[in-house]
Amino acid sequence: METKQAELELSVIKKIMEDSRKNNIDNGKHYLFWGILVTLALLGNYIMLLTKTSGNYIGLMWLVLMVSGWIVDVIMGRRENRSRKVHTYAGNILGSLWFASGISMFIFGFLGPITGAYNPVFICPILCTSLGVSYFTSGAIQQIGWLRNISIGWWTGAAVMYIFPSVHSLLIFSVMMVGFQIIPGIILNKKSKVELAL
Amino acid sequence: MNFDYQQIDDVIHSRIRTSIMAVLVSVEEAEFNFLKEKINATDGNLSVHLKKLEDAGYVSAKKIFVARKPVSKYKITSKGYKAFENYIKNLENIVKNNFKN
Repeated sequence: METKQAELELSVIKKIMEDSRKNNIDNGKHYLFWGILVTLALLGNYIMLLTKTSGNYIGLMWLVLMVSGWIVDVIMGRRENRSRKVHTYAGNILGSLWFASGISMFIFGFLGPITGAYNPVFICPILCTSLGVSYFTSGAIQQIGWLRNISIGWWTGAAVMYIFPSVHSLLIFSVMMVGFQIIPGIILNKKSKVELAL
Repeated sequence: MNFDYQQIDDVIHSRIRTSIMAVLVSVEEAEFNFLKEKINATDGNLSVHLKKLEDAGYVSAKKIFVARKPVSKYKITSKGYKAFENYIKNLENIVKNNFKN
């Protein structure tokens, strides 16, 4: 084998490997699903607090929504996995990241306040801080700069909610959900559809 | 330049099989159609080369049904991974040796 041929072969292999790894791994559906679900729950919670509904109902509403959300999300994920043409290592890492993030948020949202570790008013900023970590890592794994930069929004919002804790944190969080989760979900979904059509 | 041509793995040393290995080493698992798109090969050609890689134990295949349609999924084996690593090393050695000379 000649040197030039070896060089050419190495460069072709490198290109194929890079191209295969770049496959779109996030179709944005999970961002949309959780974005809409949590926004509705946050607004529901906000209204319930303003109308002074019993705290037990609020906790129950969250528990029902989150558990049913997990069930739907797992079914959705399984269907996607079966029909996916390619499984990448990055996709696996991303799935694990969001799974771990979901478990952490479940603990932060339920166990923290129930055990009295912190005042429920701090649930929103804690969750936003956690979401900032997940978005930063998710953007870095997928090499999507704007997705990674969304974490700045999550962390800024969290800082505001820590400094000015109030019932209105729920409203702020729901607006952030629309801007930093639903809209990115729509963008990722459109991008994925365009790439699939190519 | 000192290079033993016998070090080149014949199973991988073909344009299409090298490409298949390059794709499979970069992903965890890929469908037949994905490989076809990436490599720009015809169904028949791709099947023949995948079979060769399978026979050598470099690639493993499984068939599943998605919406009642059979789908073949391929994965690189640890033997295949090592063989591909060696293949790349050999290519790099050819380039390096020539550069030294």
